[in-house]
Amino acid sequence: MNKQPRKSPPVPSQPNFVKILHCLIIISLFIMIGSGLQIYNATPVFGGKSGWSFPQWVTLGGWLAGGRSWHFTTMWVFALTLLIYGIYILLTQRWKRKFFSEQDLKALQVGKNPKRRIYSWHRLIYTGIIPVLILAIFSGLAMYKPAQFHWLSGLFINWQTLRTIHFLTVPISLLFVLVHTIMGIRAGGLRLTRSMFQP
Amino acid sequence: MNHLKLPPHLNRRQVIQLLGMSGMGYLLGSCSDEFTARVGELSEPLNQSFGELLVKPQKLIPEFPKSAIDPKALLLNTYDITPKIDPDEYRLTIDGEVKFPMQLNLKALTQLPQTSIIMQHVCVEGWAAIVQWGGFRLRDLATMVQPKASARYVLFESADKYTESWDLASALHPQTLLANRLNGQPLPAENGAPLRLATPIKLGYKLSKWVTKVTFASQIPKGGKGYWEEQGYEWFGGI
Repeated sequence: MNKQPRKSPPVPSQPNFVKILHCLIIISLFIMIGSGLQIYNATPVFGGKSGWSFPQWVTLGGWLAGGRSWHFTTMWVFALTLLIYGIYILLTQRWKRKFFSEQDLKALQVGKNPKRRIYSWHRLIYTGIIPVLILAIFSGLAMYKPAQFHWLSGLFINWQTLRTIHFLTVPISLLFVLVHTIMGIRAGGLRLTRSMFQP
Repeated sequence: MNHLKLPPHLNRRQVIQLLGMSGMGYLLGSCSDEFTARVGELSEPLNQSFGELLVKPQKLIPEFPKSAIDPKALLLNTYDITPKIDPDEYRLTIDGEVKFPMQLNLKALTQLPQTSIIMQHVCVEGWAAIVQWGGFRLRDLATMVQPKASARYVLFESADKYTESWDLASALHPQTLLANRLNGQPLPAENGAPLRLATPIKLGYKLSKWVTKVTFASQIPKGGKGYWEEQGYEWFGGI
């Protein structure tokens, strides 16, 4: 990072590659959620056929087959984006610098600087969503091919538990989108948010 | 440089962002059935190859213990009615790309080696039930009629006019049965008696009830992918 006068911290900058992946994840996440809720409605996870279902306007695809078309097309974009991002942070060692670290933990436990603490919370939250997204993929795969990947489906105890876990990644992701947006602004102002979206 | 008259509070970048967002909104808002169908067609070849890759004749899907059977979990889904079938009149026709086409009555069909499987029956609608299907292997039927080398698909017709089409490998999988028993009891009419398809490797809509005709084919006739497949469900339906 450039050395600049204390008063104006460096303008955060993100590699274009990361901005593109970030956008792809946002778009594919919302398509996965909309089409996933369409599939949910065919047999609600909670309450079965007579259970409460989601209003049509939050769903994507028009009906079950359409929802499945969107879901099983976008799953490739969603999963491959995460995979490419994973390889990228490994190769660039970004995982050491850009994610929740021991220093963040220390800042949260004993730190006195409120700005540093907010920043650490921000890093903790966006680091924490990654295992949730991976769980969404693996629980989804376990439901997509439960017979061929019986070893994977078996880890989720039974069908109802598997469906419940896969579904829970939806409210968690939506809550994350909200909290991540707020924390991004609190940690670095709109400047930080803009740095992730501006071409 | 800036010929476009922009509202003073919007800069170029904000306009680009707004255009991007409204474009996304337009894309998602106008997801007509036609567009959705295109999206499905986009990934179906890839998803089908993925599904085919996983089906191996020597790879058996592990069965569930008897204690896991949950008869109430198996819901009844039918696109139309439960057809009335006279067991004495019933014949199963096997024809198409085979050396020995035949018509078999129920008595002849019970001569085939009987087997059973406790498996998870997974519906496209998202529910699943662990059930025991009993019957004979479709591959044993194939051994009798001797499919020709040109046979690549198997088409099924049912007494209620429901149609299905399968890839040959899935049809000849050792766990694919024509079932006449459910959970140790004779198959009830509403579950597809006298004969229905059962396999752990396909979704429920592939598992035709009241099967009356099995046709080995070199290709799937136009409009003959299957009742639900013609309306948008994926053809392979492997799980």
